[in-house]
Order: sequence, then structure tokens, then C-alpha cells
Amino acid sequence: MRVVAFALAVSLSLSACVQTRQYADLQFTPPQGDYKLIVMRPDVSVGSVTTGGMVEPRADWTEAARANLIAALKAQQAGRGGNARILSRRDELTQVSAENVAELERLHAAVGNSIALHKYLGAYLPTKRRRGLDYTLGADAVSFGRATGYDYALFMYAEDKFVSTGRVALGVLGVAGCIIGFCAPMGGGGQFAYASLVDLKTGEVVWFNVLQTGSQVAGIKFGDIRTPEGAAQMVERLLGRMKPGRDIRRAMDARP
Amino acid sequence: MNSLVSRRAMLAGSGVMAASIATGVAAARILPSAMVPLIGPGYRPVDVDERGLWQQYARVEEEIAGSNLLIKDQALTRYLGDLIGKVGGPAAKDMRIYLARIPDFNAVMFPTGFAVVFSGLLLRMRNEAQLAGVVAHESGHFLRKHQIRQWRDMRRKTDIFSILAMGVGVAGAGAGVYIGDLAQLGQLGTILSLLQYNRTLEAEADAMGARLLAENGYPPVEMANTWQQLIDEEKLSAKYRRKRRRRDISLFSTHPAPEARMADLKVSARELTVPGRVYDDGRERYLRAIGDIRSMLLDDQVKLNDPGASQYIINTLAKDGWNGLLRFYEGEIWRLRNRAGDQLRAAQGYAAAVAYPDAPPDAWRWHGFMLFKQGRTAEGRVALTRYLAMKPNAPDAPFVRQMLAQPEPLR
Repeated sequence: MRVVAFALAVSLSLSACVQTRQYADLQFTPPQGDYKLIVMRPDVSVGSVTTGGMVEPRADWTEAARANLIAALKAQQAGRGGNARILSRRDELTQVSAENVAELERLHAAVGNSIALHKYLGAYLPTKRRRGLDYTLGADAVSFGRATGYDYALFMYAEDKFVSTGRVALGVLGVAGCIIGFCAPMGGGGQFAYASLVDLKTGEVVWFNVLQTGSQVAGIKFGDIRTPEGAAQMVERLLGRMKPGRDIRRAMDARP
Repeated sequence: MNSLVSRRAMLAGSGVMAASIATGVAAARILPSAMVPLIGPGYRPVDVDERGLWQQYARVEEEIAGSNLLIKDQALTRYLGDLIGKVGGPAAKDMRIYLARIPDFNAVMFPTGFAVVFSGLLLRMRNEAQLAGVVAHESGHFLRKHQIRQWRDMRRKTDIFSILAMGVGVAGAGAGVYIGDLAQLGQLGTILSLLQYNRTLEAEADAMGARLLAENGYPPVEMANTWQQLIDEEKLSAKYRRKRRRRDISLFSTHPAPEARMADLKVSARELTVPGRVYDDGRERYLRAIGDIRSMLLDDQVKLNDPGASQYIINTLAKDGWNGLLRFYEGEIWRLRNRAGDQLRAAQGYAAAVAYPDAPPDAWRWHGFMLFKQGRTAEGRVALTRYLAMKPNAPDAPFVRQMLAQPEPLR
């Protein structure tokens, strides 16, 4: 998960804004009504950016953010009629062994890397042009769905970084330096998240989204996932507006 | 103006270099007696930064514990667990050890107290004391809180560098001078100083490890022997490839040079050895523990096709006595290299292997094939028959049976 996140983080340029970029299977319809969703061990990491620019992970912030994100995610899915279960350990499922969960996670990490490479990093494939999101986890995901009874699996990664006071001060100095011709703005803070939805009936990765917020100027924030409101905001930005696939959109447009 | 600045920058830079060289190369040996564990049993992090680090590594450990690279031999896993439980000092009962099937000389300690040992390490160790030395060294990292100390050192130095670079940049801009070159040299200085700290911690772990080794009744000199073996192996590996052994410039490396480590460890070992005390290298125990996987370890090594290293390893292990397994894999080295004359050397290896009662079935198989190639078919048949008797369900057994069913060609 971390590896996928790293590859994706490189792809979106860091500027003062909130960005998302989503891809969907051509036949994708956002889950609605009475569906069962399993969230595969959401990977959350919150840290502070030191004066020198290193990210120092913070256990308490991460715990708070994880709890808030999970609550926000459950509330959001319930609002659509779905029933979301959060898997927090690999050995929690009675029907599937921890090894099988681990294998599915690793498989998704590999497929997610391909998606990052070919959809976000610019190594576009001619065979995949105009075909939406054309990736699958194959039979393993289908048998996982059959054994557990879930309709969808969601893989999610979220990180948030807060700039330390020292770096903010240094950033102020860097911007002030612009007046005399030495411009050194210092960013570093911001959020990054991705979500990947797998249809367990077909095994296909049906929807993928990447969210990035950040600023070139240290200290400007676009949300704070340590708070319930901030976490709800991230979940909304990441999963709120799921666009249907192209074929479905066309069919909808064709209808009078 | 420009040239003046760069000359000044050069001077500053070379000052940094000189300072680093002075501290880097002439680093004094760390005394084992000075190495006191910084943590006790049941240690849990308290500081904010260390708790963050531990939380991150919980997920890493889960990933490693479930990795399919791990060798899941229960008896062997228990043996390694007992070993770290013996030489792990006060935290012995808290540490975990995982054995990964990677044919390389390495072991890693993670900040939360779990270690990963590569299978290539088990292959190279001549006795339990050598392995215990490596395990004790890794324990030393945990006992001396190296990862968090390193992290703090890095945080402090990058902070200082950023502040200085910013200050110098703004000041330079105020004076109308470009300072970029100087800042780059400063950055190099920061990196060099980080690496220097890393080498110091490695030396600490060596000293701590030597002490733990001696306290547990292992001959402390075995740690120095391990390094001697590594140096000689690298030398022979390079020689067979017609290269010189790569020697990192110590200024740029994360670990002290093996030569320096070995020299320090030798002195430390002399210091720690108590005259009259009996030290046990645990060779028998060690061979029993790895007995089941030794052929797999040798197989992984020879398939790297690094004949110099493989040859060195096998010769080193054979110092404690040749056997069928070692002779067989000696033959495999040459068969896999497959240069002119190698086939003959391989055949000699197999022929030597089958003279031992513990020769593996594959030694008989290859011995048989080599005899066939030399036209000694009657002897070859005997060898292959022996192979089939030892391994009747071998994947190639039907082919070999068919081969034996062919009538002897007329001369």
C-alpha cells in the first residue's frame, strides 16, 4: 500500500489546491441500495514535517485520524444504503484465512502499482486507451467474495502531514526573502489519499481515485483528518462523487 | 566576484571534508565495557517520536511475519528464537526473529525489536558462536536504541542544515552573491556527518555484540572470524570475475569497512576473553539445527552462479570436514559455470561426493551422467541405478529408467 501511495504521490504536482482524479470501469455504476462493503485494513499515517523537511510519524494523531476516517466512512456508506465493515486485522474473518487476506492485499498492491504507473504516472498504454479502468484481481477476489458474502472490497490509504512551527517560521523567511531576490518557499504539509474499489462478483477493479491537497507555503491547511469534520471532508472528497463509467453515462444521457 | 565565492565555497567544503575524513577514518574503537544496554525488559516507547516510529513498524512486522519468503521450519525457528533469547541481553525475551529465504550475507534489526536473518547467513556460519555473534550485534542495535537515535540525529542535522542554508541564502541575496554552490557543499557535509553517525552506531553494535557473546560463553573471537570470512569471500568472488574487490570509500559508506571492524573485534575479543574460562562454539548444535535445510542453502548459493564466492564458502565449511553434500555442491559450481574444462572439474566433484555415505541422490545422478559422457557406461549404469533406488519418485525417474533400459551399445 505504501509503495502504491509513493508512486501516486509523485504523479500529482504539489500546488496550493485540492485535486482528485478518478477512473472507472466503462460499465461501472456506483454502489447503491443494499450492498455489503468490506474495507481492507485502511492504512492511515499522520505525521509532522520537521524543520529540515523530514516526516515524523505521530502515533496519537494517526490513531485519532484512523478512528475518525472509519466513522466517517461508515456514516457515508450507510447514507447510500450500504453496510460497511472495516477489517482491522488480517485474521478477523472466519471464512477466509489470514494468509488469503494477505495474498489478496499483495495482489492488490501489485495491480494498484500498475494503475498508478499506467493511469497516473504517464506511462499510458495504447491497448488501454479509451477503455476506462481495465484491471482485475481475477478469480482470487471472486472466491474471496463468495466465501465472505461481500459485494465490494475497498482498499484505502490516507496520509496527512502537518508542518512544524520551525518549518513554518523558515517558510516565512523563505517567502520574505523574495523581496531581496532569494525565493525559497517551503511546502511539505498536506494530504494524500487513494481509494480503490473492487467488485467481488467479477474481481475487477471498478473504480480508483487519488486525492491530494497541499500548499507550497508552509502552514496553509486544507483540512485536518485528526478531527471528525476533517476526516468526513476527506472521505467526501475521496469517495463522495463517484462517477459512473462511460458506457453507463452515455446510456443515461441517451435517455430523454 | 563569482570566482572568489566559489573559491571560498571550495575552502569551506574542503574544511568539511577534512573534518569528516579525520573523524571517519581514524574512528577510535568503542570499548565493549562501555556498552551498557539502554533499555530493560518489556521496553515500551514513551517519547512522541519513538511511539510514532513503533506504530509504523507494527504494520511492517505484520507484513514480514506473513511473508512467503520466510522459512517456516518450526524447529529451526524455535532454535533461532532461543538463540536471540540467549544473547539478547535484558531485552532477550522481547525480541522476535524471522528467517527469510534470501541467499545473501545479511541480517537486519528493526526499531521495534524484531530481526530478519537471511538464509545466506546461516549457510556461511561455521558454528553457533558465529551466528550468535551476528544475532548479538543485531540485538545491540535494539539494546542501544540505535534506530531512534539515528532518526533524532538525522532530524537535528537536517534542521540545522535547512536553517543555515536559508540564513546563508538570504544573507547572500542581501549582499548580491549567489550561494548555491556553498549550500550544496554544506549539504554534502550534512550527509557525510549522517553516514559518520551511522558508522559509529555500527561500531557500537559490534562492541555490544562482542560483549554479549562473551558473557554467554561463546568464544568472542568468532565475530572477528566472521568478518575475515566475508572479506576473503568477496576477494575470491571478485578474482574469479577478474575484478578487484570493490572497496567503498569509507567516507561514503553506512557501515565501517569490514577490515576495520575485524581489527576492532579482534582487539575487543582479546579484551573480553577470560583466561582459563572454557568457551563453547556450539558447532554440533548448530549443524543439527540447520541440518534439514543445509542442502537448500547450498543450492540457493550455487545457483547465484558466483563461483568465487561459492567456492570460498564451501572450502570454509569444509575446514570442519568434507562430506558428500559439500563435495556435490562443489561439483555443481563448475557444472553451472560451464566454461572449458569445467565439466571435468564437476565430474571430479561428483565422483568425490559419492565416496561419502551421506552423498545426496543428485550426486549419484550427476555422477552417472558424467560417466556416460565419458563413455564409462557400465559404471554410469550402476550410479544411475543407485540414484533411482534412493529417489524412486524423482521427477526424471521415468527418463532415467528408459535410459537404463536401452541395450549397451556395441563397440
